[in-house]
Amino acid sequence: MAKTIMIVDDSASIRQVVGMAIKAAGYDLIEASDGKDALSKLTGQKIHLIVSDINMPNMDGITFVKEVKQMANYKFTPIIMLTTETDNTKKQAARDAGAKAWVNKPFQPPVLLNAIAKLVLP
Amino acid sequence: MTVQSEQIDGVLQVSVQEDMTIYNAASIKDTFLNWCNSGVPELEVDLSAVEELDSTGLQLLLSLKAESQKRAFSLRLLGHSQAVIEVFELLKLSMYFGDPVVIPADWKKS
Amino acid sequence: MSDMNLALQTFAHEVDELLTEMEDALLDLEETPDDAERINSIFRAMHTIKGSSGLFGFDDIVAFTHEAETVLDQARNGQRAVDNDLISVLLACKDHTAHLVHHFLTNENEALPTSLQEQGKLLIVQLNGEKHSIVTSLNLPATQNEELDQLHVETKSTNSSDNWVISLDFKQDALRNGMDPLSFIRYLSTLGNIVEVITSMPNQAELEAMDPESCFLCFKIAFNSSVDKQTIESVFEFAAEDCDIHILPPYSRQDLYLKLLENQADDQLKRLGEMLIDIGALTNKEVVEVLAEQQLDEVSAEKPIGERLLEKNIVQQPNVEQALKKQEAVKQKIAKEANYIRVDAAKLDHLINLVGELVISDAAIRLVVQKKGLTDVDDVASTMGHLVEEIRDTALQLRMVQIGETFSRFQRVVRDVSKDLGKLIELQITGGETELDKTVVEKINDPLTHLVRNSLDHGIEIPEERLMAGKPEKGTVRLNAYHQAGRIVIQISDDGKGLDPERILAKAIAKGLVKPDQTLTENEIFNLIFAPGLSTKEEASNLSGRGVGMDVVKSNIEALRGSVAVTSKFGQGTTVTIHLPLTLAIIDGFMVEARQERYIIPLNMVEECVEMDSDEWQMDELQHYVNLRGEVLPYLRLGNFFQSHQKPVLQNSNTPQRESMVIVRVGDARAGFVVDELHGENQTVIKPLGKLFENLKGIGGATVLGSGDVALILDVHGLIQYAQQRLPANMLH
Repeated sequence: MAKTIMIVDDSASIRQVVGMAIKAAGYDLIEASDGKDALSKLTGQKIHLIVSDINMPNMDGITFVKEVKQMANYKFTPIIMLTTETDNTKKQAARDAGAKAWVNKPFQPPVLLNAIAKLVLP
Repeated sequence: MTVQSEQIDGVLQVSVQEDMTIYNAASIKDTFLNWCNSGVPELEVDLSAVEELDSTGLQLLLSLKAESQKRAFSLRLLGHSQAVIEVFELLKLSMYFGDPVVIPADWKKS
Repeated sequence: MSDMNLALQTFAHEVDELLTEMEDALLDLEETPDDAERINSIFRAMHTIKGSSGLFGFDDIVAFTHEAETVLDQARNGQRAVDNDLISVLLACKDHTAHLVHHFLTNENEALPTSLQEQGKLLIVQLNGEKHSIVTSLNLPATQNEELDQLHVETKSTNSSDNWVISLDFKQDALRNGMDPLSFIRYLSTLGNIVEVITSMPNQAELEAMDPESCFLCFKIAFNSSVDKQTIESVFEFAAEDCDIHILPPYSRQDLYLKLLENQADDQLKRLGEMLIDIGALTNKEVVEVLAEQQLDEVSAEKPIGERLLEKNIVQQPNVEQALKKQEAVKQKIAKEANYIRVDAAKLDHLINLVGELVISDAAIRLVVQKKGLTDVDDVASTMGHLVEEIRDTALQLRMVQIGETFSRFQRVVRDVSKDLGKLIELQITGGETELDKTVVEKINDPLTHLVRNSLDHGIEIPEERLMAGKPEKGTVRLNAYHQAGRIVIQISDDGKGLDPERILAKAIAKGLVKPDQTLTENEIFNLIFAPGLSTKEEASNLSGRGVGMDVVKSNIEALRGSVAVTSKFGQGTTVTIHLPLTLAIIDGFMVEARQERYIIPLNMVEECVEMDSDEWQMDELQHYVNLRGEVLPYLRLGNFFQSHQKPVLQNSNTPQRESMVIVRVGDARAGFVVDELHGENQTVIKPLGKLFENLKGIGGATVLGSGDVALILDVHGLIQYAQQRLPANMLH
């Protein structure tokens, strides 16, 4: 049974490139364009890992993580934040919210896949 | 959690019918505790319906085993699902539980 | 022949170094008897001296050092216990070796005098005679040790033949944070072969009491892979917060590490941690963690990082040992290669004198430039001024040496003296890196020796007495140095019996130093010990003299423009504090003027300058104090003080409307100097006053100004004391 990964990012191109890589690695994929969109797509199905950007319209990544941590079905889901090297306060805020893993942007798909694999193998 | 249980000749035959993950950990723990408290001399746990086993599930199985030794009832795990086998293999735990594990021929393929 | 002489010089120098090292190591060994590295360096000293003596045909030295070397080799291999007796004998051997070398270097072809022969024989007997008794008496423990060793080997071999050993100890929140231990181990299995896993839940026994969402899992994983340590660590990077991780490399890597260490470039000295990271035996993260802990944990903060790494099972013993050896080797190499030039001290002094003249000329040029209003020359002059300042600082720096070497010479003194007196005394040294002028260092040695001996002799009690007083058996003498406000402070303190104020006072009265009706504070009483002719101990021991020394100590220190003071708690210990100037040649001064006379105050003693406005100032002209922001401050009118033969000028008559007060400070003592004018900062070359003016009160020296005039340098310390004495006693706090 393939593992399911959700990617939350407002950039369509990132979703596309990352999505292709994730699917090619053998995961199932759910895409969302921002925090709000992502919450609406968390409808009880099994999700093994969430990859989320921080800066997004409608609902940013940190608020989204906080929301996820309140949801009975998803609160223990590992979350990888896509952060920028420089923004340490945001990074810390994400950690405090409950996202303990991160990948610095910009990244090459293999880097993200590696990080994902540490938490969930396909 | 959903379990099926049946008692035949002093053997309590039960089966875990759902994922043994952190989301179900609390209810599985309660069920395990009930089994331990039932006072039967033998407990047979069917794991064939366990589609996922994470560390919480593993902890519960380890605790159940420890409990069986402490309370002196015999514990048999059977029908290891693929998810269970994968974890037992990874951590070389089959010997510890001591139950025969039937590995399906195609278990690594899917 | 001259080549041979050169070689002999080198030999002499080398022996000197080796023996000093040996002595240091021996003294260290008294604290840590099992320190393999120390034993090794002692062995090396004897071994090397034996080797080079053979080269020159000094057979007697070869024969003697051979005996010591043999014993040390046994000690190195654990066949011979290193106890205090052996250390004493070895110290004597060190001295004897020095005597032997000295003999052959000065009387090349003469046979050994019988005294030295006898001494050598005696030492050899002591070295070997004890051997048998020790070995027999240690028979039992030795076999136990063997058993232990075997156990050790076994545990090692079960660890793995050639596997990484990874210990994972997950914290309770790991699972709630989405960090499933299983997923990391799964990922790990993609990098190599998991040979064995021991899964345990040491902190969770009862199913009933268990919080099923908390993590209790611990793993020990034997892992076979060719990846490096960094890669393995990165597997667990996301779990770092939720898991204690230890990664021990396989034994095959050990050899690799050792080889890599061996091959590391010698060109720069690295820290132990850096070396181990470089070869991959250690990851950056591990070092950071250990260091962070080291800072948190005050008790063991002094433990070297190598020891901590071993304790925490992060790296294995051979790696640390090898790294330490390497570090030591590089240190020595660098020390040898460092480009030192020996310079005649007289040349240096001459240079510094010239720099002094240069500073004065510079001031003269500036004066001319200002007077003539040569704006175009001004820039050039000020650039040159900066350069002169830099040259001055650099020149003075040339004479700066660390005080540590002076301090550590006392290790031997403390050791020998405490043995003679039957006391247990430890010497603690801090601040050894503090620098001061070489001329000051040379002159401070004698007073320091006297004070240390005083502490040893009169301060620290014998062990029984200490135990009865509820103190640890072992007394402590501490030497400390630090910089404070441009001066160096040296402290000699002990936790001995302290000074008895009543006895000192009684003595002082008996000697007529104090009148019986005089009331003195405790501190004043203590400082009476610096008065001539006062001895606090009835029967003086043969060591620290008969009390004639303390006044000499004081005058020696004062001759260096320093001061000395003592504080003590009866029954608890004594601290002598010495304040000294960093240098004797040039200071940054602050120039003031009073009644057309210029004075220099050392800048580092100036705390602030305030404009005087008599209406706002609560000034008590009779009792000579001023209320400065609520604090009682004694003050002095410099004009009146130094020119009292002239008629004192009365307030509000001919004096300039605005006087200023310069607040000065030495240690905790403060006072104000009232002056007519402030002239600002000024580089001051100290010219000693001639013998004729030696007893001038309040003057520390003189300097020549750029204009050719002479300005007096104030003895601020003395002036503050004078100002305070004028103050009614009840106002001092």
